[in-house]
Amino acid sequence: MTRKKVKLAFILNDSARKATYKKRKKGLLKKVNELSTLCGIEACAIIYSPYEPQPEVWPSPMGVQRVLAKFMNMPELEQSKKMVNQESFLKQRILKAKEQVKKLRKDNREKEITQLMFQCLSAGNIPHNNLSMIDLNDLAWLIDQNLKDIGRRMETLEKQAQMTQSQSQMAAPPVAPPAPPLTLSGIVAKNEEVTLMDHGHGLEMSAETVPRQWFMNLMNGNGNETMASGQTNLQNGFWSNPLLP
Amino acid sequence: MSKKKSSLGRQKIPIEKIPKKSHLQVTFSKRRSGLFKKASELCTLCGVEIAIVVFSPADKAFSFGHPEVESIIDRYLSRNPPPECSAHQLVEAHRNANVRDLNMQLTQLLNHLEVEKKRGEELDHVRKARQRQFWWESPIDELGLHELLQLKVSIEDLKKNLGKHASKIMMEQSNMSSQIVAANGLGRFDAFETKPGAGMNIASTLPNNAYYLGFRHAYL
Repeated sequence: MTRKKVKLAFILNDSARKATYKKRKKGLLKKVNELSTLCGIEACAIIYSPYEPQPEVWPSPMGVQRVLAKFMNMPELEQSKKMVNQESFLKQRILKAKEQVKKLRKDNREKEITQLMFQCLSAGNIPHNNLSMIDLNDLAWLIDQNLKDIGRRMETLEKQAQMTQSQSQMAAPPVAPPAPPLTLSGIVAKNEEVTLMDHGHGLEMSAETVPRQWFMNLMNGNGNETMASGQTNLQNGFWSNPLLP
Repeated sequence: MSKKKSSLGRQKIPIEKIPKKSHLQVTFSKRRSGLFKKASELCTLCGVEIAIVVFSPADKAFSFGHPEVESIIDRYLSRNPPPECSAHQLVEAHRNANVRDLNMQLTQLLNHLEVEKKRGEELDHVRKARQRQFWWESPIDELGLHELLQLKVSIEDLKKNLGKHASKIMMEQSNMSSQIVAANGLGRFDAFETKPGAGMNIASTLPNNAYYLGFRHAYL
C-alpha cells in the first residue's frame, strides 16, 4: 500500500511509470482472480503495454478465448448494456461522488444548525447577530422537526406508561390499588453540570417533587447567564402543562 | 449509550467461493466496481490499453475497455496491430484530453468529499463532548418523558423568539432598501441545501433571490 497519495495523471517519469505498471498490473490480475474465485464467475483480462510486444492475459490464452466466445455470442444489446470505457466510467464515478458530497454537505449543515439551536437554548436567546436569513430559516425548520420528533417520542412513552400501569393494576390484588411505578429523576448539580439519571422511565410525577433548581440549570447550562424572560416562560410552560396532575 | 458499529470493517476472507448467495452478490458488486476502478487508474497512470470482461452470478456481462472493449477484443482475436492513421490518432488525442479533464474533475470531487467527511466527524465529536454537559443535546430517544417536556417548552419558546427576531430583521432591511422581495420561483428548496460558506458568519443581508420565502414562508 502506498504511503503517499498518487496523482491521477499520466506518470511522466519513464522508470517510475514502468515500475508502477508492473506493480499495478500484478495487483489488477490478482483482483480479477479473486473476483472470479470468490464469486464463482467467469472473467478475463487483456492488457496491451509498450513494455511487451505480446498482450498480458488472464487467466490463460485458452481461458480468454472461452470467455470472449461467450461474450461475443450474446446479443449486441446485452454486450453493450454494462459496457464502459474510461470516459463513461469516469462520468459514472463523478456522478456518484457529486451525490455523496451533496448528501454530506446537507447532513453537516443540519448538524451545524442543530448546534446553533442548542447554543440558543443554553443562552436563552439567539446569541449571534450575524446570521443570515437562510440560517434563520433553516433553524426554524429544524425547530419544527425537533418538536415533531419530541411529540412523537412523548406519545410513545406515554403509551408505554399507560400499558405498564394497567398491567400492574391487573396483577395487583383487588383490595389495594397498586402504586404506579414512580421514578424520580436524580438531579445532580455538580458545579455547573447537570446529569439526569432517569432515562426512558418518564412517568407521572407530582410537580412538588421537581426542584426549582432544575429549571435554572436547564437555561443556565454551562454559563452563569440568567435569562429572566426565558426562565419565566419555561416555568409558565411547565406549570401550565396539561400533563401534570 | 451503546456504541454501534455500522460495519465490520475490513476483514480477511479466504479466497474460495462464498457460500452465502446474498453475500456473494454484494461482494461481486463491490469488487467488480473496485476492479474497474483499478483498471481505469492503470490506464491513466501508465497509458496502457486494457479490456476486462466479467460475468455476474446472474450471467450478465460487465466489461471495461480502454480505449474501447470492442477494439481491444478485435485486436486480440485477429492478432492485428492497431491502425496508425492520423485520423485515428486525432480521435485518440481528443479522447485522452477528455479523460484528463474527467480525472481532474473526479479528483477535485473526491477531495471535497474528504473535506466534508472530516467536517462531519468533527461536528459529531463536538456534540458528543457537549452531551456530557448538556443533557438536552442527547438524542431524543434517550430522554425521559419529563425531560422531553422541558425540552419541548424551551424549544417552543425559542421558536417564538426566532419569529420575533426574524420579523425585526426583515423590517430593518425593508427600511434600508426599497427593493421588493419577490418569492422567485426557484421551485423546490430543501432545508440545508446551501453552498458551503453561505450560512453562518455572513452578515444578514437580504438576498435578491429570496427563494425561501416562497417555499418555506410558514416558518418565519
